[in-house]
Amino acid sequence: MTITEPQLLDLIAQEAIIDREKLTREATLGDLAISSLDVITLLFELEERYGVVIEEADMPKMQTLGEMVDFLMERINAQPEKS
Amino acid sequence: MSSRRRIAVTGVGAVSGLGANAADTWAAARAGRGGIAPHVFDGGQHGPGPVTLPAALAADGFQAPLEARMGRKVSASLDRFALMGLCAAFEALDQAGLVGDAALSERTAIVLGHGQGGQETLEKGYERFFGMKSPRMHPAMVPKVMVSGGVSAVAMQFGVHGPVFATSSACASSAHAIVQGAGLIQAGLADIAIVGGSEAIATPGSMAGWQAIQALAETTCRPFSQGRDGMVMGEGGAVLILEDLDRARARGAPILGEYLGAGMTSDAFHITQPSLEGTAAAIRQACAAGDLFAQEEVLVSAHGTGTPLNDQNEAAALNLAFEGSAARRPTIATKSAHGHLIGGSAALQTVIALQALREGLAPPVLNFLGPDPACDVDLVTGEARPITARHALLNAFAFGGLNVSMAFAAG
Repeated sequence: MTITEPQLLDLIAQEAIIDREKLTREATLGDLAISSLDVITLLFELEERYGVVIEEADMPKMQTLGEMVDFLMERINAQPEKS
Repeated sequence: MSSRRRIAVTGVGAVSGLGANAADTWAAARAGRGGIAPHVFDGGQHGPGPVTLPAALAADGFQAPLEARMGRKVSASLDRFALMGLCAAFEALDQAGLVGDAALSERTAIVLGHGQGGQETLEKGYERFFGMKSPRMHPAMVPKVMVSGGVSAVAMQFGVHGPVFATSSACASSAHAIVQGAGLIQAGLADIAIVGGSEAIATPGSMAGWQAIQALAETTCRPFSQGRDGMVMGEGGAVLILEDLDRARARGAPILGEYLGAGMTSDAFHITQPSLEGTAAAIRQACAAGDLFAQEEVLVSAHGTGTPLNDQNEAAALNLAFEGSAARRPTIATKSAHGHLIGGSAALQTVIALQALREGLAPPVLNFLGPDPACDVDLVTGEARPITARHALLNAFAFGGLNVSMAFAAG
Protein backbone atom coordinates (compact mmCIF):
# COMPACT_ATOMS: atom_id res chain seq x y z
CA MET A 1 0.00 0.00 0.00
CA THR A 2 1.52 3.30 -1.04
CA ILE A 3 1.05 6.76 0.36
CA THR A 4 0.97 10.12 -1.38
CA GLU A 5 2.53 13.27 0.03
CA PRO A 6 -0.87 14.92 0.71
CA GLN A 7 -2.03 11.76 2.50
CA LEU A 8 1.08 11.74 4.67
CA LEU A 9 0.71 15.42 5.47
CA ASP A 10 -2.93 14.84 6.46
CA LEU A 11 -1.79 12.11 8.80
CA ILE A 12 0.94 14.27 10.33
CA ALA A 13 -1.58 17.06 10.91
CA GLN A 14 -3.90 14.60 12.60
CA GLU A 15 -1.38 12.75 14.75
CA ALA A 16 0.82 15.69 15.75
CA ILE A 17 -2.24 17.98 16.18
CA ILE A 18 -1.04 20.72 13.83
CA ASP A 19 -3.11 22.84 11.49
CA ARG A 20 -2.73 21.35 8.03
CA GLU A 21 -1.93 24.69 6.37
CA LYS A 22 1.17 25.10 8.55
CA LEU A 23 2.69 21.93 7.14
CA THR A 24 5.03 23.22 4.43
CA ARG A 25 8.18 21.42 3.32
CA GLU A 26 10.37 24.28 4.51
CA ALA A 27 8.94 24.41 8.04
CA THR A 28 11.32 23.04 10.66
CA LEU A 29 10.22 20.35 13.07
CA GLY A 30 11.13 22.73 15.87
CA ASP A 31 8.95 25.52 14.52
CA LEU A 32 6.07 23.09 14.18
CA ALA A 33 6.72 21.82 17.74
CA ILE A 34 6.72 18.21 16.54
CA SER A 35 8.01 16.31 19.56
CA SER A 36 9.57 12.88 19.80
CA LEU A 37 6.27 11.59 21.19
CA ASP A 38 4.44 13.03 18.17
CA VAL A 39 6.83 11.21 15.84
CA ILE A 40 6.28 7.92 17.70
CA THR A 41 2.51 8.40 17.53
CA LEU A 42 2.83 9.00 13.79
CA LEU A 43 5.03 5.91 13.33
CA PHE A 44 2.50 3.78 15.21
CA GLU A 45 -0.29 5.03 12.96
CA LEU A 46 1.78 4.31 9.85
CA GLU A 47 2.43 0.80 11.13
CA GLU A 48 -1.26 0.18 11.72
CA ARG A 49 -2.41 1.67 8.41
CA TYR A 50 0.42 0.77 6.05
CA GLY A 51 2.05 -2.19 7.78
CA VAL A 52 5.46 -0.50 7.77
CA VAL A 53 7.62 -0.76 10.88
CA ILE A 54 9.91 2.23 11.32
CA GLU A 55 11.88 2.62 14.53
CA GLU A 56 12.27 6.18 15.72
CA ALA A 57 15.87 5.38 16.64
CA ASP A 58 16.56 4.48 12.98
CA MET A 59 15.43 7.86 11.69
CA PRO A 60 18.27 10.18 10.67
CA LYS A 61 18.54 13.63 12.20
CA MET A 62 16.21 15.87 10.28
CA GLN A 63 15.57 19.59 10.37
CA THR A 64 12.65 20.24 8.06
CA LEU A 65 9.28 18.67 7.48
CA GLY A 66 10.26 18.07 3.85
CA GLU A 67 13.17 15.86 4.93
CA MET A 68 10.90 13.85 7.21
CA VAL A 69 8.23 13.46 4.55
CA ASP A 70 10.79 12.27 1.98
CA PHE A 71 12.26 9.75 4.42
CA LEU A 72 8.87 8.36 5.46
CA MET A 73 7.47 8.17 1.93
CA GLU A 74 10.53 6.29 0.73
CA ARG A 75 10.22 3.76 3.56
CA ILE A 76 6.48 3.28 3.14
CA ASN A 77 6.48 3.08 -0.62
CA ALA A 78 9.52 0.79 -0.73
CA GLN A 79 7.39 -2.02 0.66
CA PRO A 80 6.37 -4.75 -1.78
CA GLU A 81 2.79 -4.26 -2.92
CA LYS A 82 0.42 -6.82 -1.48
CA SER A 83 -2.05 -8.10 -4.00
CA MET B 1 -12.37 21.66 70.09
CA SER B 2 -12.96 24.26 67.44
CA SER B 3 -16.05 23.97 65.29
CA ARG B 4 -15.57 22.23 61.95
CA ARG B 5 -15.08 24.37 58.90
CA ARG B 6 -18.23 24.53 56.78
CA ILE B 7 -17.81 23.63 53.15
CA ALA B 8 -19.48 25.35 50.21
CA VAL B 9 -19.77 24.18 46.63
CA THR B 10 -18.71 27.15 44.52
CA GLY B 11 -18.49 25.62 41.06
CA VAL B 12 -19.62 22.58 39.12
CA GLY B 13 -18.74 21.06 35.79
CA ALA B 14 -19.97 18.00 33.95
CA VAL B 15 -19.57 16.00 30.78
CA SER B 16 -22.04 13.21 30.13
CA GLY B 17 -24.31 11.54 27.66
CA LEU B 18 -26.77 14.30 28.54
CA GLY B 19 -24.54 17.21 27.53
CA ALA B 20 -21.08 18.72 27.36
CA ASN B 21 -21.50 20.88 30.46
CA ALA B 22 -23.41 21.00 33.74
CA ALA B 23 -26.19 23.27 32.44
CA ASP B 24 -26.99 21.06 29.46
CA THR B 25 -26.79 17.95 31.62
CA TRP B 26 -29.26 19.44 34.11
CA ALA B 27 -31.58 20.71 31.38
CA ALA B 28 -31.82 17.23 29.87
CA ALA B 29 -32.36 15.56 33.24
CA ARG B 30 -35.05 18.06 34.23
CA ALA B 31 -36.85 17.66 30.91
CA GLY B 32 -36.71 13.87 31.11
CA ARG B 33 -34.49 13.55 28.05
CA GLY B 34 -32.32 10.46 28.32
CA GLY B 35 -28.92 9.87 26.77
CA ILE B 36 -29.18 6.09 26.45
CA ALA B 37 -29.11 4.69 22.91
CA PRO B 38 -27.90 1.53 21.16
CA HIS B 39 -24.20 1.65 20.25
CA VAL B 40 -21.99 -0.77 18.34
CA PHE B 41 -18.90 -2.01 20.19
CA ASP B 42 -16.41 -3.42 17.74
CA GLY B 43 -13.23 -5.11 18.92
CA GLY B 44 -11.60 -4.67 15.51
CA GLN B 45 -9.82 -7.21 13.35
CA HIS B 46 -8.32 -9.05 16.32
CA GLY B 47 -11.50 -9.11 18.38
CA PRO B 48 -14.72 -11.05 18.14
CA GLY B 49 -17.56 -9.65 16.04
CA PRO B 50 -19.23 -6.36 16.93
CA VAL B 51 -22.05 -6.26 19.49
CA THR B 52 -24.78 -3.68 19.92
CA LEU B 53 -25.54 -2.61 23.47
CA PRO B 54 -27.36 0.31 25.06
CA ALA B 55 -25.02 2.97 26.47
CA ALA B 56 -24.99 6.68 27.25
CA LEU B 57 -21.94 8.13 25.55
CA ALA B 58 -20.73 11.73 25.49
CA ALA B 59 -21.13 13.36 22.10
CA ASP B 60 -18.01 14.36 20.18
CA GLY B 61 -16.89 17.91 20.77
CA PHE B 62 -17.26 18.00 24.55
CA GLN B 63 -13.64 19.12 24.77
CA ALA B 64 -14.10 22.16 22.52
CA PRO B 65 -14.19 24.79 25.33
CA LEU B 66 -11.04 23.32 26.88
CA GLU B 67 -9.22 23.19 23.56
CA ALA B 68 -10.23 26.75 22.75
CA ARG B 69 -8.31 27.83 25.84
CA MET B 70 -5.49 25.31 26.04
CA GLY B 71 -5.00 24.06 22.51
CA ARG B 72 -5.67 20.68 20.97
CA LYS B 73 -2.47 19.01 22.13
CA VAL B 74 -3.73 18.72 25.69
CA SER B 75 -6.57 16.46 24.56
CA ALA B 76 -4.29 14.23 22.53
CA SER B 77 -1.99 13.61 25.49
CA LEU B 78 -4.75 12.19 27.70
CA ASP B 79 -6.96 9.14 27.81
CA ARG B 80 -10.65 9.90 27.42
CA PHE B 81 -11.35 9.47 31.15
CA ALA B 82 -8.73 12.04 32.12
CA LEU B 83 -9.83 14.44 29.40
CA MET B 84 -13.42 14.28 30.64
CA GLY B 85 -12.25 14.99 34.19
CA LEU B 86 -10.11 17.88 32.99
CA CYS B 87 -12.97 19.39 30.98
CA ALA B 88 -15.31 19.18 33.97
CA ALA B 89 -12.64 20.70 36.22
CA PHE B 90 -12.13 23.59 33.82
CA GLU B 91 -15.85 24.33 33.74
CA ALA B 92 -16.15 24.12 37.53
CA LEU B 93 -13.11 26.33 38.19
CA ASP B 94 -14.39 28.83 35.66
CA GLN B 95 -17.78 29.02 37.38
CA ALA B 96 -16.07 29.39 40.76
CA GLY B 97 -14.01 32.26 39.37
CA LEU B 98 -10.79 30.49 40.27
CA VAL B 99 -9.05 30.03 36.92
CA GLY B 100 -5.75 31.85 37.34
CA ASP B 101 -6.38 32.54 41.05
CA ALA B 102 -3.28 32.47 43.25
CA ALA B 103 -5.05 30.21 45.76
CA LEU B 104 -4.84 27.32 43.32
CA SER B 105 -1.09 27.18 43.73
CA GLU B 106 -0.65 26.37 47.42
CA ARG B 107 -3.96 26.00 49.25
CA THR B 108 -5.87 23.77 46.85
CA ALA B 109 -6.26 20.00 46.70
CA ILE B 110 -7.43 17.77 43.87
CA VAL B 111 -9.13 14.43 44.50
CA LEU B 112 -10.85 12.67 41.62
CA GLY B 113 -12.29 9.16 41.64
CA HIS B 114 -12.12 6.64 38.82
CA GLY B 115 -12.98 2.97 38.80
CA GLN B 116 -10.43 1.94 36.19
CA GLY B 117 -8.34 4.62 34.53
CA GLY B 118 -7.30 4.66 30.89
CA GLN B 119 -9.20 1.69 29.54
CA GLU B 120 -9.31 2.87 25.92
CA THR B 121 -5.55 3.40 25.85
CA LEU B 122 -4.97 0.04 27.49
CA GLU B 123 -7.12 -1.82 24.99
CA LYS B 124 -5.49 -0.12 22.01
CA GLY B 125 -2.02 -0.84 23.41
CA TYR B 126 -2.85 -4.46 24.03
CA GLU B 127 -4.38 -4.80 20.57
CA ARG B 128 -0.97 -3.87 19.16
CA PHE B 129 0.86 -6.14 21.60
CA PHE B 130 -1.31 -9.25 21.61
CA GLY B 131 -3.16 -8.79 18.32
CA MET B 132 -0.58 -7.27 15.96
CA LYS B 133 2.29 -8.96 17.84
CA SER B 134 4.10 -5.63 17.88
CA PRO B 135 6.78 -5.56 20.58
CA ARG B 136 6.65 -1.75 20.79
CA MET B 137 4.39 0.08 23.19
CA HIS B 138 3.73 3.80 22.96
CA PRO B 139 5.75 5.70 25.59
CA ALA B 140 2.60 7.62 26.54
CA MET B 141 0.72 4.43 27.37
CA VAL B 142 1.65 4.19 31.03
CA PRO B 143 0.93 7.83 31.92
CA LYS B 144 -2.34 7.69 29.97
CA VAL B 145 -3.49 4.48 31.64
CA MET B 146 -2.60 5.33 35.24
CA VAL B 147 -5.62 6.09 37.39
CA SER B 148 -3.96 9.27 38.66
CA GLY B 149 -3.54 10.59 35.10
CA GLY B 150 -6.65 12.73 35.52
CA VAL B 151 -5.62 14.53 38.68
CA SER B 152 -2.12 15.10 37.33
CA ALA B 153 -3.59 16.68 34.20
CA VAL B 154 -5.76 19.03 36.27
CA ALA B 155 -2.82 19.93 38.51
CA MET B 156 -0.55 20.67 35.55
CA GLN B 157 -3.08 22.71 33.62
CA PHE B 158 -4.08 24.87 36.58
CA GLY B 159 -0.83 24.95 38.58
CA VAL B 160 -2.09 23.16 41.68
CA HIS B 161 0.74 22.26 44.08
CA GLY B 162 -1.20 21.02 47.13
CA PRO B 163 -2.45 17.50 47.96
CA VAL B 164 -3.31 15.75 44.69
CA PHE B 165 -4.40 12.13 44.38
CA ALA B 166 -7.03 9.80 42.92
CA THR B 167 -9.43 7.53 44.76
CA SER B 168 -10.63 4.22 43.39
CA SER B 169 -13.56 2.27 44.78
CA ALA B 170 -15.44 1.15 41.67
CA CYS B 171 -18.89 2.78 41.55
CA ALA B 172 -18.25 4.85 44.68
CA SER B 173 -14.93 6.34 43.54
CA SER B 174 -16.05 9.93 43.10
CA ALA B 175 -18.09 9.82 46.31
CA HIS B 176 -14.97 8.84 48.22
CA ALA B 177 -13.15 11.61 46.35
CA ILE B 178 -15.68 14.23 47.45
CA VAL B 179 -15.47 13.09 51.07
CA GLN B 180 -11.68 13.06 51.00
CA GLY B 181 -11.54 16.54 49.48
CA ALA B 182 -13.89 17.87 52.13
CA GLY B 183 -11.76 16.20 54.78
CA LEU B 184 -8.62 17.91 53.51
CA ILE B 185 -10.32 21.28 53.94
CA GLN B 186 -11.63 20.36 57.39
CA ALA B 187 -8.18 19.11 58.41
CA GLY B 188 -6.70 22.45 57.42
CA LEU B 189 -4.58 20.99 54.62
CA ALA B 190 -6.36 23.02 51.93
CA ASP B 191 -8.91 25.81 51.56
CA ILE B 192 -10.22 24.65 48.20
CA ALA B 193 -10.68 21.12 46.87
CA ILE B 194 -11.31 20.20 43.25
CA VAL B 195 -13.26 16.97 43.66
CA GLY B 196 -15.29 14.57 41.57
CA GLY B 197 -14.48 11.86 39.12
CA SER B 198 -14.79 10.48 35.63
CA GLU B 199 -14.90 7.26 33.70
CA ALA B 200 -14.64 6.19 30.07
CA ILE B 201 -14.81 2.42 29.99
CA ALA B 202 -17.45 1.95 27.30
CA THR B 203 -14.81 0.11 25.27
CA PRO B 204 -15.25 -3.23 23.46
CA GLY B 205 -13.16 -5.30 25.88
CA SER B 206 -14.57 -3.66 28.97
CA MET B 207 -18.16 -4.02 27.78
CA ALA B 208 -17.60 -7.75 27.24
CA GLY B 209 -16.46 -7.93 30.86
CA TRP B 210 -19.58 -6.18 32.08
CA GLN B 211 -21.68 -8.56 30.00
CA ALA B 212 -19.90 -11.49 31.62
CA ILE B 213 -21.05 -10.51 35.11
CA GLN B 214 -24.57 -10.14 33.73
CA ALA B 215 -24.82 -6.60 35.01
CA LEU B 216 -25.93 -4.95 31.76
CA ALA B 217 -29.54 -4.34 30.78
CA GLU B 218 -30.66 -5.61 27.40
CA THR B 219 -32.77 -2.57 26.62
CA THR B 220 -32.37 0.31 29.03
CA CYS B 221 -31.96 1.37 32.65
CA ARG B 222 -35.19 1.27 34.73
CA PRO B 223 -34.33 1.97 38.38
CA PHE B 224 -36.81 0.62 40.95
CA SER B 225 -39.16 -0.37 38.13
CA GLN B 226 -40.99 -3.52 37.32
CA GLY B 227 -39.12 -5.43 34.66
CA ARG B 228 -35.73 -3.84 35.33
CA ASP B 229 -32.91 -6.04 34.13
CA GLY B 230 -29.65 -4.25 34.75
CA MET B 231 -27.52 -1.18 34.44
CA VAL B 232 -26.53 0.73 31.32
CA MET B 233 -22.95 1.87 30.88
CA GLY B 234 -22.43 5.63 30.75
CA GLU B 235 -19.33 7.75 30.41
CA GLY B 236 -18.30 11.21 31.42
CA GLY B 237 -17.17 13.11 34.43
CA ALA B 238 -18.19 15.71 36.93
CA VAL B 239 -16.26 18.05 39.20
CA LEU B 240 -17.26 20.20 42.15
CA ILE B 241 -15.25 22.98 43.71
CA LEU B 242 -15.40 22.62 47.48
CA GLU B 243 -14.33 25.66 49.41
CA ASP B 244 -14.22 26.85 52.99
CA LEU B 245 -17.60 28.58 53.34
CA ASP B 246 -16.26 31.69 55.08
CA ARG B 247 -13.61 32.10 52.42
CA ALA B 248 -16.16 31.63 49.64
CA ARG B 249 -18.49 34.22 51.16
CA ALA B 250 -15.67 36.68 51.71
CA ARG B 251 -14.70 36.62 48.05
CA GLY B 252 -18.31 36.72 46.84
CA ALA B 253 -18.18 33.31 45.18
CA PRO B 254 -21.41 31.64 44.03
CA ILE B 255 -22.66 29.31 46.78
CA LEU B 256 -24.29 26.46 44.86
CA GLY B 257 -24.73 24.23 47.88
CA GLU B 258 -23.15 23.05 51.10
CA TYR B 259 -21.52 19.72 51.83
CA LEU B 260 -22.76 18.62 55.25
CA GLY B 261 -21.10 15.28 55.81
CA ALA B 262 -21.00 11.63 54.83
CA GLY B 263 -21.15 8.04 55.90
CA MET B 264 -18.73 5.42 54.64
CA THR B 265 -18.96 1.69 55.30
CA SER B 266 -17.68 -1.56 53.88
CA ASP B 267 -19.93 -4.61 53.72
CA ALA B 268 -17.01 -7.05 53.93
CA PHE B 269 -19.49 -9.53 52.54
CA HIS B 270 -19.63 -10.14 48.78
CA ILE B 271 -17.80 -8.86 45.71
CA THR B 272 -20.98 -8.04 43.75
CA GLN B 273 -23.98 -8.37 46.07
CA PRO B 274 -25.03 -5.51 48.38
CA SER B 275 -25.68 -5.83 52.10
CA LEU B 276 -28.67 -4.23 53.80
CA GLU B 277 -26.79 -3.45 56.99
CA GLY B 278 -23.74 -1.99 55.25
CA THR B 279 -25.71 0.33 53.00
CA ALA B 280 -28.19 1.34 55.72
CA ALA B 281 -25.30 2.19 58.04
CA ALA B 282 -23.76 4.53 55.47
CA ILE B 283 -27.12 6.25 54.99
CA ARG B 284 -27.59 6.61 58.76
CA GLN B 285 -24.15 8.17 59.21
CA ALA B 286 -24.70 10.68 56.41
CA CYS B 287 -28.16 11.60 57.71
CA ALA B 288 -26.77 12.11 61.19
CA ALA B 289 -23.94 14.27 59.86
CA GLY B 290 -26.37 16.42 57.86
CA ASP B 291 -29.25 16.36 60.35
CA LEU B 292 -31.44 14.93 57.62
CA PHE B 293 -33.74 12.85 59.84
CA ALA B 294 -35.17 16.06 61.32
CA GLN B 295 -36.07 17.62 57.98
CA GLU B 296 -39.60 17.71 56.59
CA GLU B 297 -38.41 16.64 53.18
CA VAL B 298 -35.14 15.26 51.86
CA LEU B 299 -34.35 14.76 48.19
CA VAL B 300 -32.82 11.29 47.76
CA SER B 301 -30.55 10.76 44.78
CA ALA B 302 -30.42 6.99 44.80
CA HIS B 303 -27.56 4.85 43.61
CA GLY B 304 -30.40 3.28 41.56
CA THR B 305 -28.49 1.28 39.01
CA GLY B 306 -31.49 -0.60 37.66
CA THR B 307 -30.14 -4.00 38.67
CA PRO B 308 -32.72 -6.16 40.46
CA LEU B 309 -30.52 -6.62 43.53
CA ASN B 310 -29.25 -3.07 44.06
CA ASP B 311 -32.58 -1.34 43.83
CA GLN B 312 -34.41 -3.76 46.10
CA ASN B 313 -31.63 -3.56 48.69
CA GLU B 314 -31.34 0.24 48.43
CA ALA B 315 -35.08 0.74 48.93
CA ALA B 316 -34.96 -1.48 52.00
CA ALA B 317 -31.83 0.27 53.32
CA LEU B 318 -33.44 3.70 52.96
CA ASN B 319 -36.55 2.56 54.80
CA LEU B 320 -34.47 0.93 57.53
CA ALA B 321 -32.24 3.98 57.99
CA PHE B 322 -35.16 6.43 58.04
CA GLU B 323 -37.23 4.35 60.50
CA GLY B 324 -38.68 6.79 63.02
CA SER B 325 -38.11 9.81 60.78
CA ALA B 326 -41.12 11.59 59.30
CA ALA B 327 -39.11 13.12 56.47
CA ARG B 328 -40.73 12.85 53.06
CA ARG B 329 -38.26 11.37 50.61
CA PRO B 330 -38.86 12.16 46.93
CA THR B 331 -36.39 9.83 45.24
CA ILE B 332 -34.62 10.32 41.92
CA ALA B 333 -32.43 7.87 40.00
CA THR B 334 -30.74 9.75 37.20
CA LYS B 335 -28.72 6.80 35.92
CA SER B 336 -31.91 6.15 33.95
CA ALA B 337 -30.89 9.24 31.94
CA HIS B 338 -27.06 9.38 31.96
CA GLY B 339 -26.26 5.71 32.50
CA HIS B 340 -23.78 4.48 35.05
CA LEU B 341 -20.57 6.48 34.93
CA ILE B 342 -19.01 4.03 37.41
CA GLY B 343 -16.30 6.14 39.12
CA GLY B 344 -17.87 9.36 37.85
CA SER B 345 -21.48 8.67 38.83
CA ALA B 346 -21.63 10.08 42.34
CA ALA B 347 -20.10 13.39 41.30
CA LEU B 348 -22.46 13.77 38.34
CA GLN B 349 -25.44 12.91 40.53
CA THR B 350 -24.27 15.49 43.07
CA VAL B 351 -24.19 18.16 40.37
CA ILE B 352 -27.74 17.24 39.35
CA ALA B 353 -29.04 16.96 42.93
CA LEU B 354 -27.66 20.39 43.91
CA GLN B 355 -29.35 21.99 40.92
CA ALA B 356 -32.59 20.16 41.77
CA LEU B 357 -32.47 21.68 45.27
CA ARG B 358 -31.77 25.13 43.86
CA GLU B 359 -34.65 24.97 41.39
CA GLY B 360 -37.01 23.06 43.71
CA LEU B 361 -37.57 20.50 40.99
CA ALA B 362 -36.76 16.79 41.10
CA PRO B 363 -36.00 15.29 37.67
CA PRO B 364 -37.99 12.19 36.73
CA VAL B 365 -36.82 8.60 36.70
CA LEU B 366 -36.97 7.50 33.06
CA ASN B 367 -38.04 4.23 31.45
CA PHE B 368 -40.34 3.40 34.35
CA LEU B 369 -42.78 0.57 33.64
CA GLY B 370 -44.60 0.55 36.97
CA PRO B 371 -43.84 0.09 40.67
CA ASP B 372 -42.09 -2.99 42.00
CA PRO B 373 -43.69 -3.99 45.32
CA ALA B 374 -40.21 -4.96 46.53
CA CYS B 375 -39.04 -1.33 46.14
CA ASP B 376 -41.01 0.86 48.52
CA VAL B 377 -39.72 4.32 47.60
CA ASP B 378 -41.40 7.62 46.74
CA LEU B 379 -40.09 7.63 43.21
CA VAL B 380 -40.32 10.72 41.00
CA THR B 381 -41.64 9.44 37.68
CA GLY B 382 -43.31 10.88 34.60
CA GLU B 383 -42.14 14.46 34.77
CA ALA B 384 -40.12 16.68 37.09
CA ARG B 385 -41.81 17.11 40.47
CA PRO B 386 -41.77 20.34 42.50
CA ILE B 387 -40.05 19.77 45.85
CA THR B 388 -39.61 21.83 48.99
CA ALA B 389 -36.54 19.93 50.16
CA ARG B 390 -33.51 22.03 51.09
CA HIS B 391 -31.43 18.94 51.80
CA ALA B 392 -30.27 16.02 49.68
CA LEU B 393 -29.01 12.54 50.45
CA LEU B 394 -26.89 10.89 47.81
CA ASN B 395 -25.94 7.21 47.72
CA ALA B 396 -23.05 5.48 45.97
CA PHE B 397 -22.79 1.76 46.59
CA ALA B 398 -19.92 -0.01 44.86
CA PHE B 399 -19.13 -3.57 43.90
CA GLY B 400 -17.11 -5.07 46.70
CA GLY B 401 -19.50 -3.56 49.25
CA LEU B 402 -17.93 -0.10 49.44
CA ASN B 403 -20.68 2.31 50.46
CA VAL B 404 -20.75 6.09 50.63
CA SER B 405 -23.71 8.30 51.43
CA MET B 406 -23.41 12.08 51.44
CA ALA B 407 -25.56 14.89 52.78
CA PHE B 408 -25.84 18.28 51.07
CA ALA B 409 -27.86 21.43 51.61
CA ALA B 410 -29.09 23.88 49.02
CA GLY B 411 -27.01 26.98 48.38
